[in-house]
Parts: sequence; structure tokens; C-alpha cells
Amino acid sequence: MLNILKTEWLKIRKYPAFWWIFGITILSYPGINYLLYFIYKNMTKSKDMASQVATAVLGSPFTFPEVFRTVAFTSSLFMTIPAILIIMLICNEYTYKTNRQNIIDGWSRNDFLLGKFFSVIIIATITASLGASVSLIIGFLNTNGTTIQHPFSQIKYLLFFYLQSFSQLSFAFLLGLLLKRAFITLGVYIFYSIILENILERFGIEYFYDNGRFLFLEISNRLTPLPTFISKFGQERYNTLAAQYQSHIWLTILYTAIFWGCSYIIIKKRDL
Amino acid sequence: MAILKVNNLHKSYGKIRALNGVSFSIPEGSVFGILGPNGSGKTTLLSIILNVLNADSGSYLWMDKEPTANLRKGIGSLLETPNFYHYLSAFDNLQIVQSISGRGTTEDIHTVLQQVNLSDRKYTKFSSYSLGMKQRLAIASALLGSPKVIVLDEPTNGLDPVGIAEIRDLIKFLSKRGHTVIMASHLLDEVEKVCTHVAILKLGNLITSGTVEDVLADDEVLEISAIDNNMLYNVLQQLSLVKKIIPLQDKLLLYFDKGTSDPVFVNEFCFKNGVVLNHLSIKRKRLEEKFFELTSN
Repeated sequence: MLNILKTEWLKIRKYPAFWWIFGITILSYPGINYLLYFIYKNMTKSKDMASQVATAVLGSPFTFPEVFRTVAFTSSLFMTIPAILIIMLICNEYTYKTNRQNIIDGWSRNDFLLGKFFSVIIIATITASLGASVSLIIGFLNTNGTTIQHPFSQIKYLLFFYLQSFSQLSFAFLLGLLLKRAFITLGVYIFYSIILENILERFGIEYFYDNGRFLFLEISNRLTPLPTFISKFGQERYNTLAAQYQSHIWLTILYTAIFWGCSYIIIKKRDL
Repeated sequence: MAILKVNNLHKSYGKIRALNGVSFSIPEGSVFGILGPNGSGKTTLLSIILNVLNADSGSYLWMDKEPTANLRKGIGSLLETPNFYHYLSAFDNLQIVQSISGRGTTEDIHTVLQQVNLSDRKYTKFSSYSLGMKQRLAIASALLGSPKVIVLDEPTNGLDPVGIAEIRDLIKFLSKRGHTVIMASHLLDEVEKVCTHVAILKLGNLITSGTVEDVLADDEVLEISAIDNNMLYNVLQQLSLVKKIIPLQDKLLLYFDKGTSDPVFVNEFCFKNGVVLNHLSIKRKRLEEKFFELTSN
């Protein structure tokens, strides 16, 4: 297992494109959260009427414990960036046929899949760790002097974000494995995640008793709900989602297992 | 012990049959050439034994054992085009090969790169290499850690004449050191110079296999001529031992079954029938001729 990790490291350690996108990932998560935090601070810092209204409407999305939910939600909007990393890692192996060279050199097909499985886990972990760090930093910055009874009561949203990251990156991996070409895969991923699934989900809400929630990405998107100040405007729907979150967790795990099961079958059966 | 036993392998791509029940075995220490025209199934065969392709049916054994990833680690291979990480140098790429296969040490990486004359460019990115250099790196990768078995698919692709000669010498050197080399090639002259055994494929079927001598010696050829070759041709048609007569410029080639050619008898027969020969020689068939004979329509 260590040898597989070492080999995957040898593959990426001098890969400039990988490190560029990794750098963008590292910067974008703190960046977007800090930007929202900055806007929030600006809106609420003065003593005028507008600020008081803003404070009343927005609440305290960046103080403990709500900061976890807010950061998990905003971070989940940028899942495409680490997904690019995953798509690049798998598609490059097909483009340059290095996957087949790995097999020729003595890896089993399972070893190859395991290598990529570890890569997805590591990138999901890094993504979630970034979310955790940002939550803690913003939370501590913004909770100064306030006594809060249960500051970590919503930390579960970070774990949900981790599960969501792993599930959606696994989906990106499966797409890359199926389509083999990075640009095509990226185009399909973006089209599906940003456009098609949202249309289907809306369609599901309107006509199919909200069964659009069973879509590949939507099921895990629901693990990181909208921040409280937005949920206020649809409290009933939020309550419904909150009541369903356990089934969403299990379904996300099931879908992720299916993504990897399909990847296993493809790698095992497909000629290289 | 047979290094590789292939048993009744079948592989199709849609309606195209790439391999049609191919069976043979490769003895230890041999240099085994797999020959065949384009589309004959050479690369498909090598891809199956290296687990890149799945066979539709049939089986193969490496060293009398079921093929596993661990067994494959001990086989150095070059299949079709060199496949390496384009953003890494030759050295970094071989580190990956070493990490996967467990063959060789860092010192060995430097040694094989020197062996294929890539020492000067070992820290340059693979993407900047010429075709010949990429091929050399692929050969270096196959040689890394001195594996017992080396599989080379068209090893001289993209190499200049000097490079081809170097690879030929390298294969001879490996053979002397007891390595088994399995190579597919179009260069029949090269194969004849280095191979001890050959298998010839045509449209996915195995036409023949065995030692080079056995494959070439399944029939014998006499080259003869007279002042009037037309008369000679007519006379020879009465000779039942002759399988086939092929006119070749100012000479005739007579084909006999193995062990049935007798130059003295042929000379006497022609003389008795009024033809005096001005040339008679035993012709050693070349692999190239045999190849064309077996693979032509």
C-alpha cells in the first residue's frame, strides 16, 4: 500500500499543471470564505439603520457554531476545482497510455485503481481540511468576546462536507475513467453539475415529489444546506431537508460505493 | 522449463479476429521472434500476455505458473509505443518503473540509461525527446534491474542504423547472459541475425513456430540454370521429386521436400534428357523468403 502511495507521489511531485490547480484550490477555499466574511463584516459593522437591518436578517453566519455550516456550504460550491485535479490525474493516464505502462511494469489493475482511490481520498481530505481550517480561523476571528454554549455543535457539517467532497470527486473520477479525455470529461462534469442536474432537480421538485434529490450530486449537496440566513426564507423546506439528512448520508455512501464499484468493473474488464 | 506457454488464445475486435487459437511455447534462454505482416496479431498477442488486453478465451502460463502481477514485475517489457509521463525526465520515469516493478536500484537506473546512450539527457523532460530517444528510454525501462525475461515489441522502431545495430548487439548480449528475449519485429534480417526461435502469424493464425533452422529447413531449394532455360524447365517438370519450380531471372529455383533434394541426381537427370547445366547450387533459404512464402496470398 505504501508503495502504491509512493508511486502516485512520484507521478505528481513534478507535475506543474497539477500543482497550479492544487494552488488554486488551496487559495480559493480560504479566499471565497474570507471574501464573504469581509462583505458580511462591512455590511454589519456600522451603527446605522442599514447595518442593523443586515445584522437582523443575516444573523451570525460567521460565528461559532454557525460558521461550520456557512463555510461547508460556500466551500461545496467550488467542488469543480478539486474535481479538475481528479479528472486531470485519471485522464492523463489514458491520454499518454501510462496506465497501461503501469500494468506492463507489474501493477495489477486493482493496484492502479487503489492508487487513484488514495488520490481521491487525499484530495478530499485536503479539501475538507481547508474547510475546517477556514471555519476555525473565521470562527475565532468573529466570536471574540462572545460566550457561546455549544461552539462546535454544528461541526458535523464539516464531516458532511468531507463526505460530499469524497462522493463528488469519486463521481468526477468515474466520469474521467469512462470518457478518458480531460477536456471532454471536464465539459461533461461542469455541464452536468452546474446545469443539467439543477434543471432535473427543479423538475423533480415541481413534478416528481422531490425525487430529483436522488440525482448523483444533489444527494450529497443536500448534506451541506444553505446557511441559516438564507434558509430563513424557506424554513419549511429546510426543516424537511434536515429531517432527511440521515437517509442522505446513507444514500451518499451508497452512491459513492456504486461509483467505485463501476470504476472497478471498468478497469477490470476494459482493454487498455 | 518453458518461459511462456500460450494455449489456444482467441481475441476478436468486433467482427475482426485478431487471434484465432494461437498456441506455442517459448523455451528458457531463447531469443524468440514473433513475425507477421501488419494486422497479423503480434501486438495483440503480446498485449494479452502482458495483461493489457483480456483474451476472449484460451490461457497462458509464465514459467509454468498462472500469470499474476507479481510474475509480471520480473518481466521487462516494451509494448508498441513508449508510454511515459511527458512532464518527467527519463530518470524520474524510470524511478516510477522501479517503484512499480521493484526491479533494480537507483544505480541501475543510471546504468541502463548509459547502456542506451541517454546519460546526457537523463534529466531532460520526456516530451522533448526525439522518437529514437523515446524508444531508447523504453528499452532502458525494459532492461532495468536485469529481468529474466524481456519482451520487446518492434524494438528498433524509430532508431537509426547505428541504433538498430546497437539493439541487435544488446539482444545477443542478453541472450548470452541467459535472458529470454521475446521480440516482435518487421525487420526479418534483424530477426534472423539474433533469434534462435520464431513464430510466424498471419491474420491471427499461427502459421509455423520452432527454431529458426527448423522453420527454414522444412524444404530444400536448388538453384540451377542452362543455356536454354525453357528446355530445362520442360525437362524438370518430368521430375516427380520437384515440388515447385520458380523462374528467377536467368535461373530456376527447384523446391524439394525436406531430405529429398539430390544435386547429383538432378544433374544426371538433366544430362540424360539432353540439357547440360551451367549452374547448380544448393540455396540456403533466408527467413525473409520463408516469411513471404508463408504469408503471401
